[in-house]
Amino acid sequence: MTVDQIPSVVDRCGSAPAAGQSRPRPHTSIATRRHRAFYMFASPWIIGFALLTIAPMAYALWLSFTTFDGLSPNWHYVGLGNYRELFSDSQTWNSLGRTGLFAITSVPLSIIAGLGLAVLVNRPLKARGLFRTLLYLPAVVPPVGAGLAFKQLFDQNSGAANGALNLFGVDALGWLADPYARYVLIMTVLWTAGNIMIISLAGLQDIPRELLEAARLDGASAWRSFRSITVPLLSPVLLFQTVTGVIASVQTIMPLLLAPDPTPAGITALPQSNYLYMMHVFAEYFAFGRYGYASALLWVLFVLILVATGLIFKATSGVVFYNVDPEAKK
Amino acid sequence: MRPHAGAALSRRRFLSLSAGGAAAGAAALSGCAMQVSNAVSGSGETVTVMAKADDISPELIKQAQKDIGVKINTVLYSTSKLIAMMTNGNPPDLVRGVGAVDAPYYAARGVMEDLDPYFAKSSVLKLDDLDPVNDLWRYDGRTQGKGPRYGMAKDFSQDSMFWYNTGLFDEAGVDYPAELEPVTYEEWLDKAKRLTRRKNGQTTVFGGSYNGVLTPNLLASLTVAAGGNLFTDDFSRVDFTAPEARKALGWYIDYCRTKVGPSIIQPDPNTWDGPTFQANRLAMSNSGYWLGGLINADKKLAPLSRLAPAPFFEGGTRVSPCQAGTGFWIPSKSHNKDAAWRVFEWFFGEAPAKARASGGWGIPTLKSLRSLMPAQEDYQKRVLKVQEAELKHYSVIAFTPYATADSLLGLFNQIAPAAMNGEMSVDTLARRLNSAMNEQLKRGKEQVG
Repeated sequence: MTVDQIPSVVDRCGSAPAAGQSRPRPHTSIATRRHRAFYMFASPWIIGFALLTIAPMAYALWLSFTTFDGLSPNWHYVGLGNYRELFSDSQTWNSLGRTGLFAITSVPLSIIAGLGLAVLVNRPLKARGLFRTLLYLPAVVPPVGAGLAFKQLFDQNSGAANGALNLFGVDALGWLADPYARYVLIMTVLWTAGNIMIISLAGLQDIPRELLEAARLDGASAWRSFRSITVPLLSPVLLFQTVTGVIASVQTIMPLLLAPDPTPAGITALPQSNYLYMMHVFAEYFAFGRYGYASALLWVLFVLILVATGLIFKATSGVVFYNVDPEAKK
Repeated sequence: MRPHAGAALSRRRFLSLSAGGAAAGAAALSGCAMQVSNAVSGSGETVTVMAKADDISPELIKQAQKDIGVKINTVLYSTSKLIAMMTNGNPPDLVRGVGAVDAPYYAARGVMEDLDPYFAKSSVLKLDDLDPVNDLWRYDGRTQGKGPRYGMAKDFSQDSMFWYNTGLFDEAGVDYPAELEPVTYEEWLDKAKRLTRRKNGQTTVFGGSYNGVLTPNLLASLTVAAGGNLFTDDFSRVDFTAPEARKALGWYIDYCRTKVGPSIIQPDPNTWDGPTFQANRLAMSNSGYWLGGLINADKKLAPLSRLAPAPFFEGGTRVSPCQAGTGFWIPSKSHNKDAAWRVFEWFFGEAPAKARASGGWGIPTLKSLRSLMPAQEDYQKRVLKVQEAELKHYSVIAFTPYATADSLLGLFNQIAPAAMNGEMSVDTLARRLNSAMNEQLKRGKEQVG
């Protein structure tokens, strides 16, 4: 008999009490109580999700069918007009292309860097804890502070980066302008590889040591062990990092923090290579006041992220190794 | 039949409950909104001011309470926050704004309170005492500079003027500009080139910075200086291909190409000229009188610094507009307009206005306060002489009500870098700007109706 089949107290009491007798408090079944408990505990999240995610998304969807600009009295419905315009807007396509290129470049680089650091600090080094802390520290620096620091470091006329180049007799570069601005942006991502390092480190420490020792006894080289044991066993972690990395890179606002003038209009002066999709959305909302069009851009981005995530899961379904105990499924 | 407790929920009952719930929800929500308003407006002596941190200091807030018995709550200025507050019917009572560009935009959308009746009754802010710069806050439904007053500037500068550092001129062997006679824009650029010093790909001294307050009203001012108008008569279009606008645009693109000063292809990490000028790394700064607030406080820099009249174009018109006129306005849906006006009067006409006038960070917007402008030192007297002579050339250069300056600036920023980098001709740029900006203006005109 399952829990759901246990009769409730009312069921067990049989008939209702006679008139005049105090009516016993009706008892609910365990299953009902469990359902209630579930919803009670989940309700803060459900309410938050409904109010802070579903409602704004629905509002943005509604806005995307209008010419609303926040103030003007004569806004109107344009149906799918904003979506049609989006497909003929060169800024949209160009910024989307740049964003794709940024994701394709920055996500693998940051995963490789994070994994490499994790492998390094997983070794029995002296002061290993200190290294782990130091490498993780940049990840806890607030992005605004990181943006300011990078702007100062890479300023053409007073930055340390050009100071170093001058020491070697190389002329100063305009790091924050095209074509170098994209490299500075990627450096900001790599700078926070400590995040990936920590997660990879946890994954590495989960790999059974006996597998690695068995491989070593069988004569496998370190690289072969890494390729054939470590990477497959880490693959769920790497998949997680890929998916979250792609989503984060598509939604990144780091170019905004690198902008000399991080105001709505100032964003539009970003070097073209750093004018990513979210910058386009930000400019359409707050510089051009096109709330409807910008909302359409956001909804398209949402769908694209869903599609990209689905594709990543599909493409990796045969190569990700889930270390699940088959007995536990039964 | 009244539905009894426990009965199955009929559709009608469900709808009535839903309607009741919705009404209760709406009441609760509006109650929340009103609660904010009540908390803010209280007994009518509390005013919410949307401002930047520098506009109203905590000391000034305390002073307001003491001087006029009004409590000021501040909300940090943000356009999106302002729109959100206005949309939910709970706007601030006073809002910061840049008169030169915000006044026609907001007035055309009917969200600003007409302040003429308040000015008519005021014993503090008398119409004949208002400096003409306050006309930036007037809009008659078609043109800025005429019609009802919707706000007032807290102080102002003639933003086409420039400061120069005589020390850097001496080092480069470049003649100073004449004290009261303007140089041409071409001469200004020539001097900037000669004053610029570079080493190892870095600029050690910038010859000159000339970016105005916001590029769109800089370009509008330059076009007027060249003898034309950037906007058509009804302000619904721009025409950069007209000879005067083309000349103005060409000059600004030349300035950016030569990299004698900051621009969007060579941004200044400080985002304003002050620190670079103070570090003796900028020979000429296109800033009006207000930069004197910084310069006067630096005893080494002040004697070296001079203010010069706004340049002009050969064959053009001598104009010296204000490109900002930053001040405050009262939203038409403010719940506390009378108290807001009392703060307005106090801020623009009483102790804070006097303190600003003597601080040297701008020209007072009441003529009666001009005598308070700093003039103790010789260099201050010299600056004041140039400034007083320049006031004769002030005029309002009307901005379009159909687009924000930010949106036109955004379009300029997206299109112009190619021309600044020499990858696009100025004529092509002019055509592309016309196309993009006129599309934005068309959308704005449809929205305003």
